[in-house]
Amino acid sequence: MNTSFQQTLESEIIDDNVHLTLVELCKVCKSSEDVIRSWVVEGVLMPSGQDQQGWHFNGIAVQRARLAQSLAQELEINESGIALALDLLDRIHQLEAQLARISHY
Amino acid sequence: MKFKDYYETLGVSRDASPEQIKTAYRKLARKYHPDVSKESDAEARFKEVGEAYKVLKDSESRASYDQLGANWKNGQDFQPPPGSSSGFDFRGQGAQAGFGEGMDFSDFFEQMFARQAGATSHGHRHGMHMQGEDQHAKVQIDLEDAYRGAERTISLRMPVADGHGHIAHQERTLSIKIPKGIRAGQTLRLAGQGSAGIGGAKAGDLYLEVNFRPHSRYRVDGRDVYVDLPLAPWEAALGANISVATPEGAVELTIPANSASGRKLRLKGKGIPGKDAGDLYVVLGIALPAAKTDQQKEAYRNLQQAFDFNPRS
Repeated sequence: MNTSFQQTLESEIIDDNVHLTLVELCKVCKSSEDVIRSWVVEGVLMPSGQDQQGWHFNGIAVQRARLAQSLAQELEINESGIALALDLLDRIHQLEAQLARISHY
Repeated sequence: MKFKDYYETLGVSRDASPEQIKTAYRKLARKYHPDVSKESDAEARFKEVGEAYKVLKDSESRASYDQLGANWKNGQDFQPPPGSSSGFDFRGQGAQAGFGEGMDFSDFFEQMFARQAGATSHGHRHGMHMQGEDQHAKVQIDLEDAYRGAERTISLRMPVADGHGHIAHQERTLSIKIPKGIRAGQTLRLAGQGSAGIGGAKAGDLYLEVNFRPHSRYRVDGRDVYVDLPLAPWEAALGANISVATPEGAVELTIPANSASGRKLRLKGKGIPGKDAGDLYVVLGIALPAAKTDQQKEAYRNLQQAFDFNPRS
């Protein structure tokens, strides 16, 4: 193990302006196009763009796809189970944020 | 190197059936999955549980683990007997798992189940061209960094393959410019900063999930930022001009007369900056001073007389 060089690197935010294609998302979360397509059908991912060739995924989709991949692999949850789990996690995060806002009163 | 008692990690007996091992693993994996769990050591426990299951779910690797004997205790100093590596290639699977930052296994696992196999399995890549893998990491920044942009130094452990196909973990220190306007949960991409390609092929990219460190004053919801402002009862009742600290510096705020506790004052566009900048909400609260001296008690009695006020009616 050794420590390598240090330089200041530019980074880009993946959002509505910088986005990933279906092929890029497959590479990022190490899944197949079929699997990603099934997540889109279940509403786990909501790409912008009309058809598959034109699908655009933002940075939130990258995190959701990686979480979906992990749930599928580590817990063997199927597509609709993943969709349900992610919906419930979203709700928990929203409620926790609300709780944090009102917890002082 | 410390011995790992995989049976103890999964909470099963040494003669547990494959079904019992699977059930125990599933239960613990759900409990400690870092994105689902609220346990403080979830990520570390999840890795331990995953490592234990990787070895015990396969009858052959379980048998070679069992050969070490039942007398070892978790955490006991352990030296592997010569030539004891099981020759199983978990490396490939680990790299595909796509979870966690570079699948960190314990030294025990690396010695017993990964090292030798890793070397042989990657050897065939000689002369091949293969694009480097994308890498993922999380980075915590302060809310103020999102207002101004920031430069952050992060350390990453990244798997690196040498010329002979050996996988080693290399510590990399990167200095990164974090763009202004970043929000929690967003992803930063650093092109070409993932794992190196093999045979001169392109390197992978590095993806960073950005989150804010919890702040003692500010709470963040998407682009919007909330800050509490405690007021004295007379400030809330009579109105006041008060200096409020914001992530961009202090601002002078006019508190309207008769402001109730919980009232939100919106400072438009003073949330996280960007094309659609967020708003800053100042949430008013009223702090009551305790009446200690006779004079202070008298002041409260005067209040009581001046108001015909019953908060419960």
